[in-house]
Amino acid sequence: MPRRPVKLGWGVRREGRSLWTRNAVRGISVRGERRKRDSRIEWRAWDPTRSKVAAALLLTGNDASDMLPEPGSTCLYLGASTGSTVSHIHDHVCGAGNHHGGQVVAVEISPRMMRDLTALASKRPGLVPVLGDARIPHAVAPYIRSQADWMHQDLSIADQAQTFVKMAGAFLKPGGTGLLSLKAASERSSDGDDDSRFAKAARILGESEFEVVERIDLAGLEDQHILFHVLLPATD
Amino acid sequence: MRIHFDWRLARAIDSDGNVVDELDWSSKRSVGALADRLAELQSGRLSPEARTLAERFADAEADHLGAMSDSGWPELDEDEQALFSEATDRLARRGVADAAADFDRRLDMLSSAASELRASWTTSEARCVEWAGLFLAELDLDGQRREIPCAVAEAGSIDEAAKALGISAPEHKPSSAEWEALRGHARGVVELTGRLETAEDATRELAREYVPTLSRVVGPLGAAKMIVLARGRERLARMPSGSLQVLGASGAMAAHRRGAPPPKHSPTLFSLPQISKSPRWVRGKIARFMAGKCSIAVRVDHFDGEPWDEEQIAEINRECENIRNRFPKPPKRG
Repeated sequence: MPRRPVKLGWGVRREGRSLWTRNAVRGISVRGERRKRDSRIEWRAWDPTRSKVAAALLLTGNDASDMLPEPGSTCLYLGASTGSTVSHIHDHVCGAGNHHGGQVVAVEISPRMMRDLTALASKRPGLVPVLGDARIPHAVAPYIRSQADWMHQDLSIADQAQTFVKMAGAFLKPGGTGLLSLKAASERSSDGDDDSRFAKAARILGESEFEVVERIDLAGLEDQHILFHVLLPATD
Repeated sequence: MRIHFDWRLARAIDSDGNVVDELDWSSKRSVGALADRLAELQSGRLSPEARTLAERFADAEADHLGAMSDSGWPELDEDEQALFSEATDRLARRGVADAAADFDRRLDMLSSAASELRASWTTSEARCVEWAGLFLAELDLDGQRREIPCAVAEAGSIDEAAKALGISAPEHKPSSAEWEALRGHARGVVELTGRLETAEDATRELAREYVPTLSRVVGPLGAAKMIVLARGRERLARMPSGSLQVLGASGAMAAHRRGAPPPKHSPTLFSLPQISKSPRWVRGKIARFMAGKCSIAVRVDHFDGEPWDEEQIAEINRECENIRNRFPKPPKRG
């Protein structure tokens, strides 16, 4: 018996342990993932073992839809790599031909990764590939149309938490959602074991202006990774 | 007073949030011109309009992040949107293409290719010599080592190979399929030898051009390997000499963190005759001295210094000799 799909947002749904996004480029898979038709809509599988955002959506204890951006919003993705996760975010935020009018700015420093990302962006209006250093605010600012409603940072550097506080402080809109993926191996240059490194990151976030909504351990899907879901409180 | 700007326009805004002055990008807009503009902005410079406003209002402060959070900032119209998306695409592609102008990346490919070839050459060549030697019992495996792969590759049979190597025909011969395989393997070794030479020569040439001084101190292949390990000349130049001394000895350094004694030198430094041919009790001292010299050498190369001449290199070698002479005997164990 097929499981009843649960809607997490306009373009994202969950069926049991799998996630699907509404494919913005019909008939094309980005990394050879499965596609399926449901009446007139094509859905593309979002592999939680390859995408930390997908893993977090499955493993969160809260409402997963709170972690997703709204269609048509402005999103910033730091450390886009070849763009697998970016493509799913784009599916949801921009839709086919960007009929939602969203913007997903994807920043990546490696030309090798950017190669794949530009190919992706040429088929997906609304996706802006930026070859540059995701730690420098003014290197990103010329490309983003406004402050971001949603941002995700996934860099393989130490001190990710500090960078996140700096970047999210500059780019996140009050009330915006921020996701920070941490990999224990990238923080190895600092002392202590994995748990104390994660605790250090949690402390840095706790001392910042952000409110940590949830700390999600991605064990099982992405081992030795955690993802922080934070909120920038709205000013009023 | 602040100046907010993006690629299209710049505004001078007073402390109450009123727009005092505004300048548009009025000259002809094209994809190429916009790509150039975005690259300028990305590197932290102002747009020409923002610069004009900054001159007009001397007390104004230009804010790179201002336009983004300015609620009154106009949205892109459809033409601008299309132009922007084409320009970002072009800029990203240009960046990908420009990676080929980066000597660090080129040296990485070349030097890594050379060391991979070196690794597979060692295996294949040894196998070829042992294999041929199994049949040709009279062969001098050390004295004739270099001739063996060539002789086998060019021979039509094992007897011909024996003749070419100046020994008598073997008693036990390989089957014809076995001989084909042996000869094919030998041909591979000959071809691999050529490829290895080409790759190493090219690495030497590039390294001599890119880091002339360091190439003189540790040899061009060693210099190339150091740059690859440090992931770039700039990073190598900014590295403290202690890090450079153990660069590439990451396994030993990890063991050191768990309590083992620290490594005295990296494999690259150990391959220098000054160190590997010295008695073990001075190797650490010479490695430390050489690492210091290497770190100065790469800084000379990176920050446009005057490359060292033969006299300065000879001076370094003399100093190594001095260190060695100062410690003729191993230290007493206490």
